[in-house]
Amino acid sequence: MSEVIVITSGKGGVGKTTTVANIGTGLSMLGKKVVLVDTDIGLRNLDVVLGLENRIVYNLVDVVNGSCRLRQAMIRDKRHPNLYLLPSAQTKDKTAVSPEQMIKLTDDLREEFDYVLLDCPAGIEQGFKNAIAGANKALVVTTPEVSAIRDADRIIGLLEANEIRDIHLIINRLRPEMIARGDMMSVDDVIEILAVDLIGTLLDDEQIVIAANQGDPLSGKNSQAEEEYKNICRRLMGEKIPFVSIRQKKGFLRRLGNIFKN
Amino acid sequence: MKTFFRDKNRSAGYARDRMKLLLISERIDCSPQMIKQLRNDMIHTAKKYLTIEEDKVMLEVTQEPSVVHAYIPVRNKKER
Repeated sequence: MSEVIVITSGKGGVGKTTTVANIGTGLSMLGKKVVLVDTDIGLRNLDVVLGLENRIVYNLVDVVNGSCRLRQAMIRDKRHPNLYLLPSAQTKDKTAVSPEQMIKLTDDLREEFDYVLLDCPAGIEQGFKNAIAGANKALVVTTPEVSAIRDADRIIGLLEANEIRDIHLIINRLRPEMIARGDMMSVDDVIEILAVDLIGTLLDDEQIVIAANQGDPLSGKNSQAEEEYKNICRRLMGEKIPFVSIRQKKGFLRRLGNIFKN
Repeated sequence: MKTFFRDKNRSAGYARDRMKLLLISERIDCSPQMIKQLRNDMIHTAKKYLTIEEDKVMLEVTQEPSVVHAYIPVRNKKER
């Protein structure tokens, strides 16, 4: 059964595109056939995070308009044979595509792929409506900040109003030392406020910036973020993988630090 | 959900309490002041009949369908 998953957040800059790139790469490494669709028309980004920006010929709008065939627009990632990108258009705007056209597109992609991941633009306007139109599941990305949480709550309400009830939360950019001293909301706080199922927690990790700079997500640096992205992929595939508490992680690192000190 | 107004010494607790109140009010389209008033009125009404743990009373709103849940802990006879 293939799945069409929209990755959304409401607020911009919380890590949607990075999440799509990493989860998409992770699922393909687990043997799934995956296509990533950048639905942010006019502000395309997923291509650069994946390092595929130089290979774009056709885009989402061309496919929807019938200017090219679906296969011509999809870029196959040579490093990950099961991973494909359908890039967004850089010159058009959000009104170039309608929700009906997106449903048709995702239905076509469903036939060929195990996972269709939709990178949603920020905001709740036309671009958001397009991105969620064909989705059967949503991953909401937030950070432990008041602005991101408020927008996430709004997005969750809109998803539910659009009959998408399979909603999971990813909390990004957690900083254990700030949580420990009571200056950042914890994972439990955020879950309690938003009241949705958790699927992943990510620390604020330099490696994510480095991987995006290099256009090579999950490049095998064995960072904590990479491990957690892989865990999210397995959870998406139905595996029960326990959540390591952020404090535990910190304790472990501190213990490790102490070992080296002694 | 705990009380609205605890642990304001650190910013995270303050943020959490603000967000809870704000999101409840946004979900049911009712201002934060009115939610506080509702909570106070519920405490007032409950106290007429029950011995309650006033500072542990909490309101929660779930979305789609919107339902307001009130949590009003009642003290046991023994503890009185």
